[in-house]
Amino acid sequence: MLENAWLAWLILGSPLIAFVLVGVVGRRLPEGGAYVVVGSFATSLVIALYFLAQVLLQGAVGGTTSFSIPGFTWIPGNPATVTEEGKIEIRLLIDNLSAFMLVLVSFLSLLIAVFSIGYMHEEEGKPRYYAEIALFVAGMLGTVSADNFLQLLIFWEIMGLCSYLLIGFWYHKPEAASAAKKAFLVTRVGDVLFLAGILVIWNVFHTFRFEEIAAEIPVLWGSSFTPQLATLIPLLLFGGAVGKSAQFPLHAWLPDAMEGPTTVSALIHAATMVKAGVYLTARSFVFLVPIASGGGILVAAVPWTAILVVAIIGGFTAVFAGSMALASYDIKRVLAFSTISQLSYMFLGLGAGAYLMASEAAAGSPEVNTVGYSAALYHLMNHAFFKALLFLAAGSVIHAVHTNDMREMGGLGAHMPWTSRTMLMGALALSGIIPFSGFFSKDDILAVTFETGAANPLFYLLWLAGIATAFMTAFYTFRMWLMTFHGEYRGHGHPHESPLVMTSVLLVLSAFTLASGFIAFVTNGFGNFVFYEEPHAALPLVTPLLSGNVVELGLTGLSLALAFAGLGLAWLVYARKSIPASTFTRTPTRAFLHSMLLHRYWIDDAYNAFGSRAVAGFGRATDRFDRNVVDGIVNALGRGTVVTAALADRFDRKVIDGAVNSISLETIRSSLALRTRQTGQVQNYTWVIVVGIAVILALAFILGFLPRALGRP
Amino acid sequence: MIPVEYELVLSLALFCIGLYGILVRKNAIIVLMSIEIILNAAILNFVAFSSYIPPSGDPAGQVFALLAIALAAGEAAVGLAIFLALFETHGTVELDKIRLLRW
Repeated sequence: MLENAWLAWLILGSPLIAFVLVGVVGRRLPEGGAYVVVGSFATSLVIALYFLAQVLLQGAVGGTTSFSIPGFTWIPGNPATVTEEGKIEIRLLIDNLSAFMLVLVSFLSLLIAVFSIGYMHEEEGKPRYYAEIALFVAGMLGTVSADNFLQLLIFWEIMGLCSYLLIGFWYHKPEAASAAKKAFLVTRVGDVLFLAGILVIWNVFHTFRFEEIAAEIPVLWGSSFTPQLATLIPLLLFGGAVGKSAQFPLHAWLPDAMEGPTTVSALIHAATMVKAGVYLTARSFVFLVPIASGGGILVAAVPWTAILVVAIIGGFTAVFAGSMALASYDIKRVLAFSTISQLSYMFLGLGAGAYLMASEAAAGSPEVNTVGYSAALYHLMNHAFFKALLFLAAGSVIHAVHTNDMREMGGLGAHMPWTSRTMLMGALALSGIIPFSGFFSKDDILAVTFETGAANPLFYLLWLAGIATAFMTAFYTFRMWLMTFHGEYRGHGHPHESPLVMTSVLLVLSAFTLASGFIAFVTNGFGNFVFYEEPHAALPLVTPLLSGNVVELGLTGLSLALAFAGLGLAWLVYARKSIPASTFTRTPTRAFLHSMLLHRYWIDDAYNAFGSRAVAGFGRATDRFDRNVVDGIVNALGRGTVVTAALADRFDRKVIDGAVNSISLETIRSSLALRTRQTGQVQNYTWVIVVGIAVILALAFILGFLPRALGRP
Repeated sequence: MIPVEYELVLSLALFCIGLYGILVRKNAIIVLMSIEIILNAAILNFVAFSSYIPPSGDPAGQVFALLAIALAAGEAAVGLAIFLALFETHGTVELDKIRLLRW
């Protein structure tokens, strides 16, 4: 049992409260409400740690490690059925995965919020910034603690909204505004697939809850859960993950998302948003590797195609994004491409892990081998730390030199010793140099991929893509670090070290960058810490070193050697300058390749062309239809009404007003004529009286007296 | 006995003289006098019919004649008083100069 389970609501409740508080009265709070937001993240972290400890302790004594914390019934179900079929509840799910993610997210968000106090100090609109990051983090915490797909989608969309708002934080800059739109629209493509997947799930299982779905899969397999649906559902869900985690072909938004403040980039890349895609794939792993009702894997229902799609997208995007980072001059974009590339490693790990798990089960192994799954999440954690470090260090550099362009940096190591050293730690981790954290998890993923190659040779190809990426990663990371901190300063400003509030965060993060890889040693393999279905001591560095497996040791050596080769090449080109950088653009072929990378394989251009030709053409056609046909009808109606109104107006003025006016005019005219008869002369009046009486008498005589006198009635 | 027609013709003559005076004379005093003549014409009618009504006449006509004479005296007094007030305000009693009864 979980102690004090209700506290879990505070994990996402406290950033939400901070959001409301800062959003409403942030203007009056010191630093635009920064301390409120920092406090709320710290609260979330403490509670999340409390639950992680409980989950781990329960797991250690062999108890259950998955807890669903009841909230409230959102939509009541059919009361006639025992399970209240169709009921939708808002609940929190606390298990190894979500507790681990809650701690990771709240910890990194806390550090980034603290860093923001220094970084955003001179910005306008701080309350807006802090309110939005509070909501953003609440969205991520809600996503990773959701108990069902619908709840997950709600928080997922909150994050989408916040990413739009934060990328467009400097909305007066046209690039930022369009980058925000691009992020929103591109991730929307994935979200539509995700929503479609959720609807299919509801249609099949009549529930959104993860644990009920997992239990229903073996029951419904062969009846309503058909092999086609078994492939379709994970692919649709993966579509959502591709959008959120910026995998090919929906990767285009992430490099542009660099238009936001650097702290936001750090938040998006390290703690929230892009990790949600990996989390979703891990959370819906049961669709990739269904579990039979008595334990073990339901091999018949394994969607091999969907698993291959996940792994291939991962392997391909790793090389694809890594190569684009080679030619970029924007310090943040290099990091953005590396994020895409590293996320691809995680998808590769999940895909290869699922394939390995399923193929071992198909071969009759009773054990559930969760090594790939754990490796991917291990890499997620390590990447979160070193990418947050790299982004915040990049933010510190940008804060000092006021540019993103590395051609205007150089030699900053002398001015910014702390930033330079901490960023070097992050760069070593990203490159996968032992003993920094990135090495362990990346090697883990590559080892799983290689191992899966025995089941399907395609994975040898993906493994090659993986180690090629490792080489490129080391090269572009050190190209970035050397261009920024080494050599002569090429800019025009006066760079200075950032304030203590920023550098201390960098120091904390660099400590974690160094240490987070060793968590796996503490837990005897990361697979004992975060796992799918059952714990599994999974960490090649531990196992091969201890078991003395020559092949795996060799592979580790190879990837390490390639990382050092990339590092060394960068050193030769950008520090020693014994190989001039122009070597890469000397021949036409090389120049073409360089320009292709610089233009991001023209994919953005193609999307833009599609947007401006096809979509805008369709828009123009509908516009023409609108103007000519719809407006024509409306205008004709309007014109008819105007004509009718004019006629009615004329009738009104001429006939009705005319009658009224002429009556009154005639009255006036006749009274003017008559009043001249009123002379005031008594004798005139007397005359009138006399004549009148005479006339009356004459009439009386003619009409009354005469007929009688003449004998006629 | 004088036939009643003679008296009626006389009365008509007096009425016409009075009416003529009212319509054409400009002096208010004379107009007042003309009104008195008309009154007298009417009184003459009372008296004439008083003796004429068969079978032996009706004294009520003579009583009315006396009453009317008394009223005429009062009316003349009121009329003269109005003319005095008019003379004080307008400085004249010429009726064509006085245009009080208009819009």
